[in-house]
Amino acid sequence: MSETENKLSEQASLKLINEMIGKAKQSYVTKGIASIVWGVLIVICSLLTWAQIEFKFRLGFDVWLLVFFAVIPQIFFSIREKKQKTFVGHDEQTMSYVWTTFGICIFILSFYNSRFGSNDLTSIYMMLYGIPTFITGGVFKFKPMIFGGLICWALSVASIFTPINTDMLFMAACGLFAWLIPGIILWNRYKKQQSCYV
Amino acid sequence: MQQGNFSPQESLQLIQSMIAKTRKDMGDNSSHFLLWGWITFVACIGQFLLKNVFNYPKHYLVWLLIIPGVIFSIYMGIREEKKRGVTTYVDDSMKYLWIGMGISFFVLSMIMTRLGWNTNIFPFFILLYGLGTFISGKFLQFKPLVFGGLTAWALAIASAYFNYDYQMLFGAAAILFSYIIPAYMLRSKNKSVTA
Repeated sequence: MSETENKLSEQASLKLINEMIGKAKQSYVTKGIASIVWGVLIVICSLLTWAQIEFKFRLGFDVWLLVFFAVIPQIFFSIREKKQKTFVGHDEQTMSYVWTTFGICIFILSFYNSRFGSNDLTSIYMMLYGIPTFITGGVFKFKPMIFGGLICWALSVASIFTPINTDMLFMAACGLFAWLIPGIILWNRYKKQQSCYV
Repeated sequence: MQQGNFSPQESLQLIQSMIAKTRKDMGDNSSHFLLWGWITFVACIGQFLLKNVFNYPKHYLVWLLIIPGVIFSIYMGIREEKKRGVTTYVDDSMKYLWIGMGISFFVLSMIMTRLGWNTNIFPFFILLYGLGTFISGKFLQFKPLVFGGLTAWALAIASAYFNYDYQMLFGAAAILFSYIIPAYMLRSKNKSVTA
């Protein structure tokens, strides 16, 4: 960095910080794709599970394994993105902590699922979906994700009183409101931003 | 910070000092961690003793301790909010984290009320203890909280191999390592900085 040699005024420092925030926001906007991918996966897996229960047929494999297969390209893209970056914004780092923690908790919950073998864990999955979504929405002042988080928690409570097939529809709604819709909004913003640069 | 120009090094120092300020606030407010840590610790040990030593059938009533805890916590929160001056980025992140955690504990309690309190409930609560403290530790760059979170997750996995009665002890251990000990460390660190 050439600035390292010079002294910056408070104004210039603030401008630099603003630029960093702007760049980080832009990279976060790009990540709208991750949100869309997860949203689509959760919606599809939930609806397929619902259809299997409702219409009494079996696909012959656990559809939720698709989620784990989706992790592989995601890891690949995030490593590639990390290599290309010259800096990591504080908010981006904050989000990486939140979503890594979410991943660890989902892993432990999957372990409980195999250990306890209970269908009631769907309520707990939805409760867990709400946490990173709400924090992300709050930190970025991005209301669709704040509402997405709140919807996950409301549906988690509602699912206590409903049978498993309805729970799967709730789970699909969580994927839709927490990730897919906010992801599409982010993607549209990104596209608009890109067209402004051209 | 002085009025004049400052180098990028000093800018970074400013950001670091903002984190340090929040950590100091957390040190001042470690009372929240200690309040909830001690309430949960006493409730876990109390329930274990009531159920297994005194054979008291309504052993779960010990968790009513949470009600005065919530009231006192809200009172403390309002008082601190009034005192607080500038809100930093880390303050904001911590705020959303703990609002989210509060709602999640409430939702989990509702789920468990439906499932029945005599089932495998503690592993799920321990999982959440770990989640809250691990992220807090990362936000504040305070390692004892990060290790506390990791310990809580290890205990959350181990507790799944034990029955309900012993899961309470795992809950007590998790809260000791993830809330109480890091909170005292945060407090003493803050005292040594301000002394």
